[in-house]
Amino acid sequence: MSVKTLDVIRKRLEERPDELRRARENGLKVVGWVGYNVPEEIIHALGFIPVRIAVGGDDRLVEIGARYASSKTCVFIREIVGAFAENKDPYIQQTDILAFDATCLQNYRAAEVIEYFFKKDVVVLAVPRNFHLDEAKEYFAHEANEFTRLLEERAGAPLDSARLAESVALYNDIRKTLKSIYTFQASKNNVISWEEVYDLIQAGELLDKREYLSLLTQTLDELKERQHYPVIASDDGDSRIFLSGSLIPRGDRKLISIIKSVGGRIVGDDLWSGILPHLDLDIKEISPAGVALGYLNRTPHAALPYLDLESDRRLKKLQECLSQFKAQGVIYHTLRYCDPFTFKAKETKNVLAKSGIPLLEIHTEYAGSDYEAMKTRVEAFVEMIKIKSEIAEEQSVLVDA
Amino acid sequence: MGKQLFRYSEANKEKFLESDNITFNDGSTVSPEEIWHYLTEEAPVKYPSAFEVNLYQGNRGSRDETLPTSLKTRYLGLTFSARMEKAKDNGKSIAFIQGGQAVDPYTAADTIALRPGLVNQWNNGLEYGNDINKENLRRKKSKEKAFHDMSFEACQTGGYEHVQAGDLRIDVIAPYTVLRCSDISYGVEAHRHGPKKNVKLLNVDYPLRYQADKPWAIEYFAQNLRRLVNTLDEVTGRKTSEDDLLKAIKLHNTGRRLGTELAELWWSADVPPTNSDDRASMVSLGNLEVHGDVQASLSVLKEAKKFIAERVKNGVKGHAVADNPKRLFILGSCVGINGSRSEDAGAIVVGRDDQWSHCSSLVEEEGDPYYNLAKATLEYPYEQSIEKRAQWTIEQIKKSRADGVIFIHNWGCNTQAAISRPIVDIIKRETGIPTYIHERDLHGLRDEQEQNRVNAFVEML
Ligand code: SF4
Ligand code: SF4
Repeated sequence: MSVKTLDVIRKRLEERPDELRRARENGLKVVGWVGYNVPEEIIHALGFIPVRIAVGGDDRLVEIGARYASSKTCVFIREIVGAFAENKDPYIQQTDILAFDATCLQNYRAAEVIEYFFKKDVVVLAVPRNFHLDEAKEYFAHEANEFTRLLEERAGAPLDSARLAESVALYNDIRKTLKSIYTFQASKNNVISWEEVYDLIQAGELLDKREYLSLLTQTLDELKERQHYPVIASDDGDSRIFLSGSLIPRGDRKLISIIKSVGGRIVGDDLWSGILPHLDLDIKEISPAGVALGYLNRTPHAALPYLDLESDRRLKKLQECLSQFKAQGVIYHTLRYCDPFTFKAKETKNVLAKSGIPLLEIHTEYAGSDYEAMKTRVEAFVEMIKIKSEIAEEQSVLVDA
Repeated sequence: MGKQLFRYSEANKEKFLESDNITFNDGSTVSPEEIWHYLTEEAPVKYPSAFEVNLYQGNRGSRDETLPTSLKTRYLGLTFSARMEKAKDNGKSIAFIQGGQAVDPYTAADTIALRPGLVNQWNNGLEYGNDINKENLRRKKSKEKAFHDMSFEACQTGGYEHVQAGDLRIDVIAPYTVLRCSDISYGVEAHRHGPKKNVKLLNVDYPLRYQADKPWAIEYFAQNLRRLVNTLDEVTGRKTSEDDLLKAIKLHNTGRRLGTELAELWWSADVPPTNSDDRASMVSLGNLEVHGDVQASLSVLKEAKKFIAERVKNGVKGHAVADNPKRLFILGSCVGINGSRSEDAGAIVVGRDDQWSHCSSLVEEEGDPYYNLAKATLEYPYEQSIEKRAQWTIEQIKKSRADGVIFIHNWGCNTQAAISRPIVDIIKRETGIPTYIHERDLHGLRDEQEQNRVNAFVEML
């Protein structure tokens, strides 16, 4: 039943840290990036190896991180700081340069703290809050050039436009293939699960990009062979859950496994550790500014405030995804002290309620102590969705009759 | 109610009556006679909480009654709510802003700019006759509204609870964001789902990371300031010119200069010429926004400098200050320690970074006022990188001859808490001065535990 290429990918991930070590011995440099609007193509085109530093789920590292970045910083950033303090994560160990963005202020603070305590070479891309205004875009274009200049200094060579074009084309292909694969997980009689696709997306944050594209292509071919026409629709008795809210990075599978264990089926997400950053990325011009603006013009991250509820693209995208993936309920995951998402939980719930989509907020951290409490709430939610969809089904049968 | 209330002693009245009038923005004045009457007759009935002797809240049974500025700042504080109501009745426009920012563009656009603490003060003053506990309960209840609609992890809620409940007539929410924290930007955003649709919203986008060195960042923030002024003009219906802004900058530079001179004068004294709270309320006059009336603040500030100079010359020690007190410098987020209780423990607060960072940032007066203001704002020491901010703080610690440093932050203030350790590390490394980090429980009475730690720290010093 399982998709064979996924096994290959798992194996390649195991080998990847060693591969990075060898690449560095041969003079290549690894750029670890942390954030939400870091234009990865620029890093790639400069000849660096980009890897995303996004780890979660380890309360011990959170504790360690709190010693450096205070216990009031979001759980995710605390864990990252803890991981740098401990320096055992194979990817962190292989990082020569760090690229952060200031989309979320806590991410920005992480850059400062890591730079200070662990003497890391850090480059930061500033991000405007008024991202939708022309002057903000102009400012961001300058910032992208500055970000590129700082990386060029470290690369010892200027950014070559032809190489940037190649990187953009490669990343565009990756995004396109990922989107196609994503459709399969939400389909009736699916042969790949959302969880598998999620892992697949996160594998791309670490693997070599060319190889990753070829593995994605193989995965897609395999899927097409086994499921000619994926139709996004419910299987009998499904309760189709959509995951939203704070990111769920590698290593954090608490909520995901709970949903599965109580019989919920995740059919989509708009997480920044999931499919969302790969959607709607339209690079109109091959230049640092062009690439960076492509990133900024995507569905905005929750840390970037938008002052009109009616035209908020984040909520619009969420609604669009809910309808595309035929989701019946949203589990909105908020991490402790993750203000960008926590502040909007209630509002999002109210907005979705208007279209009859229920939302359950799960506010959590990486400790296991809330596992049972979370499970009880998720179970009740999943059950409620099942009952609702059964009633709806019965009603439609009655109407048809 | 049987609570002990502080009363100003008639013995000091005559001297107080010799001091100056306070002149307000609208040209009106209030005489020392009227101030005395208010403080001794009206205010104790309206606001018993302000007179209740309650050390936990920083209200001691005696005050520096021979320092007229102390009475005047108290007067401006107690009349704040009524003055804001009157300003609204007279059609004045009021904006919600962030703490730690200057208000030059708001002054230029004829708008009263109120930071979060002042917005709370306005709301607190709307209800009469409360004791401290009742007032505190009321404050907590109102914050609950915001927590309910946003997040219980919020520190700053952008005035949501007051504005959206219709308690305060604020026309525009337009703070500099993300200056000092990001809670403020989420607070502004939250208003979009509130029932009051006529409140204008604007984020004046303060960019981060080495921005003061980047011409494009200065230009971007200058554009944000232009947008701010246009938004304020939409509310007032007037047209603010560059000249208006230049005038406002000059006026505020006067305040900033006076505030700085006053702080330096205070620091130059062998013995502290006032207690901690009086020092803080005088120095913060330099930003001219503290009482919601720029001219009133300026007139009290000018006079304050005269009084302090006299005290320094005559070696007068501030009221209730111990002999050879341990000098504390407080930094961190928008919060301080209990001045009077710390004095009782043998300490005095000689400086803070909050309210001081922007007071010490003068704006160039030649050239494009928007660009100059943007540049000066991006140079705020408080907003710089860890290393730069720490270096500036060290300078202030040295100037103020502090013996100990406390980094204090509010619960939920992740932006400041995150860098507390590195900043304190640098200070300790470079000055050898003892330091500690403290987290303040939000919106409660100042608690015993906090004071125990301060006292133990002072004892250790
Ligand atoms: S968005 Fe949330 S999880 Fe991500 S860095 Fe910011 S506070 Fe942390
Ligand atoms: S205490 Fe911190 S979070 Fe609260 S308003 Fe001040 S800077 Fe913002």
